Amino acid sequence: MKYLSEYRDPAIARALIDRIRRTATRPWTLMEVCGGQTHTIVRQGLDELLEGAVEMIHGPGCPVCVTPLEQIDKALALAARPDVIFTSFGDMLRVPGSDCDLQQVRARGGAVRVVYSPLDALELARRTPEKEVVFFAVGFETTAPANAMAVWRARELGVRNFSVLVSHVTVPPAITAILTAPDNRVQGFLAAGHVCTVMGWTEYEPIAERYRVPIVVTGFEPMDILEGMLMAVEQLESGRHVVENQYVRSVRREGTVPARERVEEVFELADRNWRGIGAIPMSGLRLREEFTAFDAERKFGVARITVNEPTECRAGDVLTGRLKPPKCAAFGTRCTPERPLGALMVSTEGACAAYYHLARHRVVEPQAVAT
Amino acid sequence: MCLGIPGRVVELHDDGGFPTGVVDFGGVRREVCLAYVAGEVAIDDYVIVHVGFAISKVDEAEARRTFEVLREMSRLDELEWIAEAIEPAPREPRVALGAADGRRP
Repeated sequence: MKYLSEYRDPAIARALIDRIRRTATRPWTLMEVCGGQTHTIVRQGLDELLEGAVEMIHGPGCPVCVTPLEQIDKALALAARPDVIFTSFGDMLRVPGSDCDLQQVRARGGAVRVVYSPLDALELARRTPEKEVVFFAVGFETTAPANAMAVWRARELGVRNFSVLVSHVTVPPAITAILTAPDNRVQGFLAAGHVCTVMGWTEYEPIAERYRVPIVVTGFEPMDILEGMLMAVEQLESGRHVVENQYVRSVRREGTVPARERVEEVFELADRNWRGIGAIPMSGLRLREEFTAFDAERKFGVARITVNEPTECRAGDVLTGRLKPPKCAAFGTRCTPERPLGALMVSTEGACAAYYHLARHRVVEPQAVAT
Repeated sequence: MCLGIPGRVVELHDDGGFPTGVVDFGGVRREVCLAYVAGEVAIDDYVIVHVGFAISKVDEAEARRTFEVLREMSRLDELEWIAEAIEPAPREPRVALGAADGRRP
């Protein structure tokens, strides 16, 4: 396919890298808030190719990684109940809770099932009326419309043995929290392409203006990210700070309106803890009052579970750019994807796991794609 | 996990006022909720799908290119969940993985 080969042409990558280097008169610090982008940046070594011109801080863009420990512990408590079938996206199963993970609960006989879609969990509830089916509703704004629809549909169909453990987070409050932290170093952001496919970018406009930071809506492929970096650097060099859209192939300013409307109908904003970061005001979603019959925390009385984050995992320092994963004392020794201390080492979109796997790739694959 | 995967709409249904359809992801087929793009898509159109929901319509060249990039970057984990997931509802076609990328029998 001609289009394909053109897009992946290393010459184009080289040209973009050269242009970023020529444009940057000083080193700039940017943050991506998208696990997919983190994966691409680390895997392709884009940050190393731009060393001295652009430093990338890998922000809290992986929903698996930022799901707070207390929500994992609630999931574990629910999954261990004999009357519950606990359903989840596949990538939550190995996230460590205080004592174990969902996979271990399953090994001990807990009914834990992986679903592809929240509608699969709803369907399971309809077909298994003698059991309570709980779905672990995690994710950013990309996933919220799917989970909102499952709840809305459950109410419409009168499915009473279906409920959701909600741990939704939203990106703009996290960006604001990072910008207002006393030791913030981030000067510009790449906003996540598929989050903005749903939400558009109007929420980012007041942030760019108030904090005087460029925000570039960016895709997740190597060329997208290089182009997004270039657009951010060009803004920084010329003293501009607006929202721009690199990912025009997928994102419109207003987003996907019917999806946004369904999310607003089912969920409302609430304070939420982020694993490794702490509480961020109005950064999460919870079910609206008229949907609380589907709230697993209320239904099964697990809402009061609270836990303190373990101190050995330094995820918060990684997510805010104070620590690069390989510099962590536990990295690759006491913390590996097989035996993770924290969630950043579990998900393939977590910064620690991305660095860990990269080190292995380098043995057999010394050349990054763009060189 | 916020990545959407592009696929081609091959069937359209109206499940009691709930727009659904079947989408083909490089050979893997799966029932998808089309409520958020209702009125926008027809058979053979391409959509970006995330956890069983179409979130936007895309053109064919973009869809094909993106799918190949995702395959190269080993980022098709969502499709693996279909194989791991519970059996879909009886009337949904059961689909074997493997033909598309050979990663899973």
